[in-house]
Amino acid sequence: MKVPLAWLRQYVDLPHDTDDIAQRLAMLGFPVEDIERRPAITGVLVGRILTLEKHPNADRLQVGTIDVGNQKPLTIATAATNVAAGQVIPVATIGARLPQLTIEPRKMRGIASEGMMVSADELALPPEWFEDGILQLEPAAVLGENVVTAYGLDGDVLDVEVTSNRVDAMCVIGLARELAASYGLPLRLPPAGNPGTAIEPSGAEPFVELASPDCTRFVAQRFDGIAVGPAPAWMRMRLALAGQRPINNLVDVSNYVMLETGQPLHFYDADKIQNNRLIVRDGGDGEKVVTLDGAERTLSPQSLVIADERQTLCIAGVMGAAAGEVTASTTAIVLEAANFSGARVRRTSKALGLRSEASSRHEKTLAPAVTDLGAARAAHLLVELGATAYRPHAFGAPVMPQPPIVLALRDVERLLGWQLPAERVASHLRALGCAVESIETITYGPSLQVTPPLWRRDLSIAADVVEEIARMEGYDNVPSVVPSVAPHDVSSAQFQLENRLAHEVAALGYYEIVSYSLGGRRYADSVEVLDPLSEDQRYLRDSLLPAAMAYFADYDAPVRIFEIGHVFRSEEGHIVESAVLSFGFTADPSDEPAWHDARFLQLKGDCEALLRAITGRQPQSVRSAREGFHPGKFAAAIVDGQEVAHFGRLDPRSTAAAKVRLPAYACTVMLERLPDYAIPHYVAPAKYPSTYRDLALVVPLEETAAELERTIAETIGALCTGVRVFDEYRGPQVGDGQKSLAVRITLQRFDTTITDEEADAAIERVLVALRDRGAVIRQ
Amino acid sequence: MSDLTTKLDDLHRRFSAALTAAEDERALEQARVDYLGRSGEVTQVRRAIGQLPPPERPAAGKTINAAVASMEAELEAAQSRLSQRAFDADLAQRIDVTFPAISPRTGAINPVRRITEDVASYFTRHGFAVVLGPEVEPDYYNFDALNIPADHPAREGFDSFWLTETLLLRPHTSPMQIRTMQQHRPPVAILAPGKCYRRDAVDARHLFQFHQIEGLLVAQDVHFGHLKGMLTGMCRALFGSGQNVRFRPSFFPFTEPSAEVDTTCPRCKGLASQCGMCGGSGWIELGGSGMVHPNVLREVGYDPDVYAGWAFGFGVERLGLIRYEIDDIRRYIDSDPDFLRQLA
Repeated sequence: MKVPLAWLRQYVDLPHDTDDIAQRLAMLGFPVEDIERRPAITGVLVGRILTLEKHPNADRLQVGTIDVGNQKPLTIATAATNVAAGQVIPVATIGARLPQLTIEPRKMRGIASEGMMVSADELALPPEWFEDGILQLEPAAVLGENVVTAYGLDGDVLDVEVTSNRVDAMCVIGLARELAASYGLPLRLPPAGNPGTAIEPSGAEPFVELASPDCTRFVAQRFDGIAVGPAPAWMRMRLALAGQRPINNLVDVSNYVMLETGQPLHFYDADKIQNNRLIVRDGGDGEKVVTLDGAERTLSPQSLVIADERQTLCIAGVMGAAAGEVTASTTAIVLEAANFSGARVRRTSKALGLRSEASSRHEKTLAPAVTDLGAARAAHLLVELGATAYRPHAFGAPVMPQPPIVLALRDVERLLGWQLPAERVASHLRALGCAVESIETITYGPSLQVTPPLWRRDLSIAADVVEEIARMEGYDNVPSVVPSVAPHDVSSAQFQLENRLAHEVAALGYYEIVSYSLGGRRYADSVEVLDPLSEDQRYLRDSLLPAAMAYFADYDAPVRIFEIGHVFRSEEGHIVESAVLSFGFTADPSDEPAWHDARFLQLKGDCEALLRAITGRQPQSVRSAREGFHPGKFAAAIVDGQEVAHFGRLDPRSTAAAKVRLPAYACTVMLERLPDYAIPHYVAPAKYPSTYRDLALVVPLEETAAELERTIAETIGALCTGVRVFDEYRGPQVGDGQKSLAVRITLQRFDTTITDEEADAAIERVLVALRDRGAVIRQ
Repeated sequence: MSDLTTKLDDLHRRFSAALTAAEDERALEQARVDYLGRSGEVTQVRRAIGQLPPPERPAAGKTINAAVASMEAELEAAQSRLSQRAFDADLAQRIDVTFPAISPRTGAINPVRRITEDVASYFTRHGFAVVLGPEVEPDYYNFDALNIPADHPAREGFDSFWLTETLLLRPHTSPMQIRTMQQHRPPVAILAPGKCYRRDAVDARHLFQFHQIEGLLVAQDVHFGHLKGMLTGMCRALFGSGQNVRFRPSFFPFTEPSAEVDTTCPRCKGLASQCGMCGGSGWIELGGSGMVHPNVLREVGYDPDVYAGWAFGFGVERLGLIRYEIDDIRRYIDSDPDFLRQLA
């Protein structure tokens, strides 16, 4: 919200320094997002054009004599076309400084010009919001007065952010109250009494029927003698500084009152209200209404409207309808200053896709008391404009103070960690407009009974009051204390598991990425977002691999990455969410034989090393298959009989389709299947030396290294302390349907040194056993 | 007798010459074998002692022993000379130590995880646990239990991705505060980090998916000052020892009093009026915090007259923007190798 300091200063004598005020507001909970510094403008005075004649030597110039108060009238030439004798205008005198220029005496086509008639632009106001040419001041302006100070054009403008609970502070008076309380300065508010006392002509008295509980209060007031035209310059300038475009005197009054008091108003053309009778009711189902912006809107019973007996005249709290609109020919109006349920206004505004300055305030639920203040301020301004104000009529519940809040003084210290004397607490609260009484309760001990001011709706419990005390005392003064936390039994196991995994995978040479959980790819059991931001973000992922593939596709060089994240699928109407880790890499193509894939074995090594580190157990890898992976280069990793991970080469067709140019490999670990870490037990090395035998075997193609190793180990029994296949060969030297495997068998005794004879006998038994599997020694 | 001496002298001379000529250990070993070995020339001379008349044998033995001792000493000296020469040659090498290193294969955790861990390690040192939870959560945990009933204007600040009428992608990690409090009696001291989702248009400062880290402490005698104390420590752990923390009043439905948390601008230390990071204010906004609202405590069955608590919630990516001076929040989601390596 843009707040001109000059407007604030009308109500409270603030310090000179803009930054000091901005800082103060921030520390009260109203951060200032921007400060618009006004340029220094001097020497511009209020003047009246006494005479105006055509320049003798120039067709496009006029020469005027201008009365600027207590001095000889000035002769000034101008090219502006909107000037006439009798107008009151701003005049830059010799020596005046304007944003773009300094005024000096000069001759214009032979006539000495003693200054300049000034436009809105030259006063650093948005020119498109004001009349072309010279700015027109109101006739009553005091001649010779400094325009900049008189109209507050020198005060900076603060862009203040107001949190949604403080709709009372979404206005100049609200912020003035806060600043006055904080600085300890007196507040000068405009008169709250309504000047309207006259009784309406017979039959012209407005009546409002509240046919919905969502309108709690409605002040209606009739004004006659309206002449629609431009608002006075002071109001237009002030609105412009506040970022509000001046429109005409009625619209401007309503905006002015809203910005000043926070109460949105609506003016109806009194002649367009059937029988002077307004009804606040639910919208009709499918009812069409043309709003003031010219758009046709379709209502529903959800929307709240203000209508007469024939038609809808206003969408409550949101925008007026054309049917009740004030026009240039309007001479009598009915003012509405109403209070609506915020939730209802928000629903209406959301359903219509229509927000306004008014709805943004109403939807936060205003205090009912502000209706009367808003009507009174509008009445004052309209009377100033020459209108006749009749008495206001309030409909709905009378304005009542909220029930008092009991604040236990010990809670102030308990929650804030400060000890504050009761007197100090009470004076802070009184400064904010609360009524405060000391009481003693059995439950809470010494306490204060606090009645919030009528304009505050956000104070309802003791904690709210404690915050007010902290704000007044200054959040800066909150002490900084490190607490000691008593032992508790909340577990960090899942967090620790994820971090251990991440560090292990990083240590294996992978970099952790973060990718979006939402994507455009639909799966058989996809979870779908009801209202996605875009089609690319419609479905929750069920795997981290598409993101990994997209990453691989982005880089021509090999990369090694991992991610830990949740994946989602729907299962019988439920959403199943699980945590997974995927790591993988792309590699330069290799020239190894087709039956061999060292990258796969490296991936397997990484997977096994990771699982060993996390589970404390050696995983078993078995051939498996899964969509998206190469059918011959994919395995599942088993720990304790449970598949905890799978890994392999990504299906070259999928990677090619995803524009991945290099062979890609990936492993996925399912976190919730990982068993707890098994603490390993140390086995001391044997005191006696081991021996080994290497065998080169020709085996059937289907034979696997794991089966071969297991057969050998089981055949030898305890003497075998190690068996490992270390080489493979396929090709013409071993023939079709066969391959050669080289295996090293380590033999050892724990009680004495093993003899060659023992070792050889063991190997003989192995060869017999392997013969049954179709394996023979390679010749 | 002189015969033996002459012979030994000759052998000794030739042995010395062989040692002198030896260029390496192998040549020395050869000389040892040739003269002093099992069938070496000196050994053969010693064997010949048996041929001598018994009275001459002791003297001859002595002579041979003396010669052998002298030769062994020479051999040792030669060995030491040779190894000295080898060391000298090795130590005379001067490689270009500025030549680029052979890089090890490296990997790294993401800066999001690093920051989360750094925050967690500070808080766990003070007795906090770290809890993780689901990203799909019912509205009850996201809103109702947090004092944000349906129709509350604050729901708009959490513009969310809904999956069903009641399920949504969590816009904050606060559901874990509720879940933890419902499962445990006070004291509860937790951090809840994790992914969150809000319907924000993606730009240099916003992602629709980000990470949050929330903290919650509920116990007897917990006050606002404890929050400031812990956050000051956290900021020092994250940004450096000179950090301070400032509270500003704010509004959140689930806390009362509520505060925005600012920390000293780590770039200018609050000293530069033209700082590009803090805009000259000297302070950087971190996120929201406050004393847990009594309605939230009541919802989980804690008596707000007995227990008090505080909570905070910060965006992890945002902490990283400040800590690493990252120019654009989208760098996280791009996860470019260079970005990951620089912040490893």
